[in-house]
Order: sequence, then C-alpha cells, then structure tokens
Amino acid sequence: MNVTCKDRERIFEDGTAAEWMALEAHAAGCVKCAEELRAWKSLSVAAKELQDYSARPELWTRIERALIEEDARKAERKSWLSFLPSLAAGWQTALAGAFVLILTVSVTWIIRESKGHSSKQDNSLLKSAALKEVESPETAYEKAIDKLAAEAKPQLDNPATPLLANYHEKLLVLDSAIADLRAQAGLNPSNAQLRYQLLAMYQEKQRTLEEILEARK
Amino acid sequence: MGTMGLALPWKARITSALREPAAVGRWGTRVKPSEERTGGPAGASVEAASEDAALAAACQSGDLRAYERLYAMHGPRMKNLARNVLGSAADAEDAVQETFLKVQRSVASFRGQASFVTWTYRILINTCYDARRSRLRKKEVTTDDDTEEMPRMEPRAPGAHPSLRMALERALEKLTRHQRDVFLLYEVEGFRHAEIAGMLEITQAASKNTLFQAKKNLREMLEPPRSSSAELH
Repeated sequence: MNVTCKDRERIFEDGTAAEWMALEAHAAGCVKCAEELRAWKSLSVAAKELQDYSARPELWTRIERALIEEDARKAERKSWLSFLPSLAAGWQTALAGAFVLILTVSVTWIIRESKGHSSKQDNSLLKSAALKEVESPETAYEKAIDKLAAEAKPQLDNPATPLLANYHEKLLVLDSAIADLRAQAGLNPSNAQLRYQLLAMYQEKQRTLEEILEARK
Repeated sequence: MGTMGLALPWKARITSALREPAAVGRWGTRVKPSEERTGGPAGASVEAASEDAALAAACQSGDLRAYERLYAMHGPRMKNLARNVLGSAADAEDAVQETFLKVQRSVASFRGQASFVTWTYRILINTCYDARRSRLRKKEVTTDDDTEEMPRMEPRAPGAHPSLRMALERALEKLTRHQRDVFLLYEVEGFRHAEIAGMLEITQAASKNTLFQAKKNLREMLEPPRSSSAELH
C-alpha cells in the first residue's frame, strides 16, 4: 500500500491497521510525517499518565451500604402499595390518575365550601359584634340619663316656673320619640341611621336635664 | 496559557510500537464489545455479550452480588474516569456511588438496547457532569467570581511523568466536553469507538472524528515552542 503526506490526517482519524503500517513506512523517509507521527503517538503515551486504578476497599463497602439502604426504602414503598399487586401497570397508572383527580376535586370543593361558610359566619359575626359595641354604651348612656331624670323628677313633677313646665313638655316629647326609635331599632337593629337618631335624642334629653338641674341652682 | 510554555520532550516519549486504534483490546475484563475485535475470536465477544446480559439480569433481580461483580470489573475504571472528569478523588467516589444507586433505581427499565456496561458508563458520565454543574452553581452562590469553570485538579500519586500529566490535565479542561469525553474513554480507558458511541449516544464516525479533533487540539496546546523543540534535536 502506498501512502503520501496527504493521507496522514485521514489515517490519523480513521486509518486501518494496514494504512498505519504504510504510514510508518512512509515516515521512515519523510521527516515531516515522522515528526507528526511521533507527536500523535505521544498523546496516547501521555494519556497513560491519567490512569490510576488504585482502588480503596472502603468504596465498595460504602456503595454496598447505600444500595442496601436504597433497597430497604424501595421495599417500604412497595409494601405501602401492596394492595395493587395484581393490577397491570396501565391500570395502576389509570387508578392513580383517578385517585389524584378525585382528591383534587374533593380538596377544591372542601376549600371552596369552607371559604363560603367562613365568610358567611364572618359577616354575621362582624354584624353582631358591631351591634354589641353600639348597644352596650347605649345602655350605659341610657342609665346615666335615667339617673339625671331621677334627680330632676321632683322639679318636673311640680314645675315652679313656666320654663320648667316647658322643659317637662319637651322631655315628654323626647321620651316619646326615643320610645319610637327604640321600637324601630328593635325591628332593624343593624340600621345605623336609626342608631344615630336615637343617639341625637339621648343627647338632647341629656342637655335638657342638665339645663333643668342648672336652673335649680 | 500555562501549558504552552511547557517544553515537552515529545521524542523521548515516543514508543516504537505502532498503535492500531481499532485493534487494541487492552481490557480483559470488558464485558460486551459492541463491535467485533479486529483479529479477536468471535466466540469471545459472544461470551462477553452473554456475560453482560447475565449481569444485567442479576442486577434486575436485585442480587447485590451482581453489583459487587460490576464494581469488581469496572469500579476502578469508573472511578478513574470520574476522577479525570471531576478532578478530585472524593468527588469521583461520590459519582461512582451515585451511579450505582442510579443503576439500581432504573435497572428495571433497562431493555438491553445497549450493553449493560455501556449503559452504566453513560449514567456515570452524566452523573459526573451533573456534579460539575452543581459544583459550579455552588461556586456561583458562594462567590461572584465565575471566571474559573474548570475543576481544580487534586494532586495524585506521582507517576512516571508528573509534569506531562499535569499539562495534559490542564489541556483537557480546555477541550469541549465531547472531545474530553472521547479522549478519556478511548485513550485513557481503552474503550472502542463503538462502545464510546453507545455511551455518548453518537455515531462511531462522530466518535472517531471527535477523537481526531481532540488530539489535534491537545497537540497544539502541548506542543513545545518551535525554538525549544529545535534545541532538542
């Protein structure tokens, strides 16, 4: 077989044994090819420097332990799913898919339901709490005004002056309005407008009683 | 480039023996050659193929002794390959262990499209590159310096030519991933192109061409400057 310098790289890449021998023969008389051939083969020699097959016996022990642990984990998972042994893989997948679907739908439904329920509960809770907050000072306020009324009662029962008689009239009107408003508020406890009107009436009654007690002095 | 200044006495390293790339069968423990050995007995490859199939079947049945046999046959070579990709013996051992675990986890899905050993090495190579990537990510998190992507080569037991080995290690890191893999698998570990093709999922022709390009690049990187080369003559 006759090879030339032009064939060198092709032989380096994919030469047959016969072509390599022919290249060797050619290199004996060609300085350039001899140099290239030496450099090329040197890389293979150099590659041997990267061979280090000293084995540590501990490595297999470590791997063996890891394999056993993994096996145990696998067995644990298998036993957990042991109720599915007789089913084919396709059926198992379909069953698993159906289970996941049912679980997703159920969880979504439960979450939505509980959200709706809790929001309903929250609304009513908020309303009743707010109502309590309004009603308790209202009652306290009413009691305080009743105390004032009790103090002013002797003057009002026997008004000594026309002014006191007018005050008495005014208080009777105010009490009547308060009674009306309280009746309406009882029917519609969360009506804020009624509550404001009731408050205004109480404030007016308080002012009137204070004026009566002031006039006594 | 650090290696360019290294004047390697090429002539001193040249052996007179002719290397026939396709005809070398250096590994007696090779389980299944995916191509006929040139000049080798045909019966040997059949025997190796059946041994490979038996090993795969034993591993599939969960026989721990089969894994031990796989380790005895390929463990040191797997570790050496991983060491050359990762640059550290400890990382190489981790990669080998991870490979065995991956083999155990997925051996049930092994259908024998490639040889079992080839398949195992494919897992090892992918594991090594996963480890390299995760090491790089960790490095990026701990430091802002992303200039050095190469693994730091740990010192190993002194060989016949430590300076040559170090220069080669550095030069290998400058190759492309495929060039490095093919060079390590062919020149260092002694696999044939058909086996390498199976491991890297490329064609045999691509494996040969990649090796050619890798060696050309390495030669350029390791070649001593012309002046010092001339001094050696």
